[in-house]
Amino acid sequence: MMTDAALEAEKKARSEPTPPPQQAKSTAPSAIRTLANVARDVVRYHELLYELTIRDLRIRYKQSVMGVLWAVLTPLVVVLAGAIIRFAFASLVGRTVAPIELGGLAVKSIGWAFFVGALGFGTASLTANLPLVTKVYFPRELLPISAMLTQVVDSVVGAMALAVLFPLYGLGHASGLPWVLLLSVLLLALTTAVAMMAACANVFYRDAKHLVQLVTSFGIFFTPVFFDLDAFGPEGAYTFSLNPLTPLLEGARLALVTGHDLREPLISASGAVVWTPGHLVYAAAWAVGGLLVSTIVFRRASGKFAEYV
Amino acid sequence: MSDQHTGFIEFAGVWKKFHYGEVHNRLRDAIPALARRLVGRRDKSEGLWHGEFWALRDLNFSVTPGQALGIIGPNGAGKSTILKLLTHIMQPTHGTSTVRGRVGALIEVAAGFHPDLTGKENVFLQGAIMGMPRREISRRFDEIVAFSGVEAFIDTPVKRYSSGMQARLGFSVAAHLDPDVLVIDEVLAVGDASFQRKAFARVQELVRGEIPVVVVSHQLEAITTLCTKAMLLDRGRVVRAGTPDECILAYLGGDAAKPVPTSGDGAISIESMTISNTVLNSGQQLRATVKCAVKEDGWTDPETLRIGVRSASDGELLFETSTEHLGISLPTSGRFTLTFDLQMNVQRGIYLIECCAWDRIMGRKSFTGPATNVDVRDGTMFDGVVQLNARAQLAFLTLSEGGDVPRLS
Repeated sequence: MMTDAALEAEKKARSEPTPPPQQAKSTAPSAIRTLANVARDVVRYHELLYELTIRDLRIRYKQSVMGVLWAVLTPLVVVLAGAIIRFAFASLVGRTVAPIELGGLAVKSIGWAFFVGALGFGTASLTANLPLVTKVYFPRELLPISAMLTQVVDSVVGAMALAVLFPLYGLGHASGLPWVLLLSVLLLALTTAVAMMAACANVFYRDAKHLVQLVTSFGIFFTPVFFDLDAFGPEGAYTFSLNPLTPLLEGARLALVTGHDLREPLISASGAVVWTPGHLVYAAAWAVGGLLVSTIVFRRASGKFAEYV
Repeated sequence: MSDQHTGFIEFAGVWKKFHYGEVHNRLRDAIPALARRLVGRRDKSEGLWHGEFWALRDLNFSVTPGQALGIIGPNGAGKSTILKLLTHIMQPTHGTSTVRGRVGALIEVAAGFHPDLTGKENVFLQGAIMGMPRREISRRFDEIVAFSGVEAFIDTPVKRYSSGMQARLGFSVAAHLDPDVLVIDEVLAVGDASFQRKAFARVQELVRGEIPVVVVSHQLEAITTLCTKAMLLDRGRVVRAGTPDECILAYLGGDAAKPVPTSGDGAISIESMTISNTVLNSGQQLRATVKCAVKEDGWTDPETLRIGVRSASDGELLFETSTEHLGISLPTSGRFTLTFDLQMNVQRGIYLIECCAWDRIMGRKSFTGPATNVDVRDGTMFDGVVQLNARAQLAFLTLSEGGDVPRLS
């Protein structure tokens, strides 16, 4: 026979359900499965991706005095800053700056401006779309990806400006264009990877964007944009080459402005290794590997976005 | 319709855990928090860390095509969490929430609107966000705009719209989706009265289409009208599941099947209340008989007995009277019954009849009596709030009578 207390306890147990025991987290799909899901979702939602990109472009150019000129202005300022530094150094050693140097600077500036712009917009993409993230379901990857695409449009405008200016000054090697295309795709992949990680981190930790700001404002000193890779001798060249952006930007300069065939290594007069095909493989590994890892991390974290944003 | 396009909702043993208070929002707080977590104590029985709570506890329900589930409950009961699970915005901590088919959500209908874009641009954006193919939006664009009633401003940036116009446009987009599963949250209060009627009619149309529907609303009347079944939640638990009327009554505290325990410390205790009919027509008379007893020690405090009528759809007290108002003084000893005759001149709906003993000196209830519900059906049809039991007579006038001014005789 049950005592009153036992009855009471049983009644309580029945009315107060207890959660099931923590099961081992084996329910998470495998990495390959996750990647396939993301790819499928992005394809399925391509119309939304288009709308989000169009929206960002419209907002960027609506009610702005200069409109599309903004797309040219950022790389132009980078070029001017680089040009000032180069002229200063040249006057110190008593030589002039060749147009070819400025051409190289311009190519790398567009690449850098893309990285900085895309990373900035990409990082803020989730927090800037707060109502969407907390209220409506769609693959969250679309937000950083659309930030990338918006920036691609900007950079293409900048690149077209170069395409007009280069022939005027007799610069540029058409043979480098396929290489530039390949390097651009790798740059896009690498930037997307960094932006997805940063966007993710920004949801959970609001100071992540300060870290990104640090990268976008001072990263230029650790990336050969204002200077070329051989400026700091062999050790300097090796150290800077560890930055995965280095081969992407330097490669574009070499292929397009110098006319170097990227299948061949290039060693400067000072003995600095400016280019080897290994550089390209290294950067590609970062870009592709980074994209895969960041996609998986992003997807795994995205279920928690709505709770944290 | 192929099988995979048939919507279906099933929650099986769904638990959802939330944090409250300190969510470490900065990188520099994250590391000490992690350390605390590693050495921290865990409440084994509930599986919760400090600062966590269960927003949903062991939820089980399913909604099949043609069914509309209404979810009611006080703030913090877990209604919004269910919606977030339904729309895939969140995932359950334990259990599975299956939602098959394209989910159409009438939730925060203007969430995707961007203030700098025009109405037209926003329609396409919002449509895409809700999963409508661009072709379909183009095809139904005119219909959407016409429904919203903002045709004249469709090329104006949305930031110049009034909030009502924004909400109307957002609702129109959402209401023209063809979802497999429909989720509705408090959107029926959009725009002015005429738009609300139009919106409600549209929602009814959507609900009647053979798809599973979930409605969350504090407008209990909307639940009664739209839903085929309902669920009452409280602090993450299902307190009651059944017909909308049952759940609403349970929510309002007057549960016919499971009477509220009577309680009180007054001199008069109420033993029971019976009503003459549980179903009657609007305008008919209802007789409530209340059986009372005066406690043995007798009484000196002048208590009165009150009876009230409350609307089950919104909980509003429509009418209350007392023995004092009616000029009856209660006996000071023994048991007695009191009968109240109430002319139910109200609209159709479920009403709660409640009674209590009232301490006039203290100005409070001294004894809460039982409550019961009564279903008022359409009697003589009428529009408006109060049934005035109107009668009409017709009389013919001949030309010779009346002269210039026609008179009713």
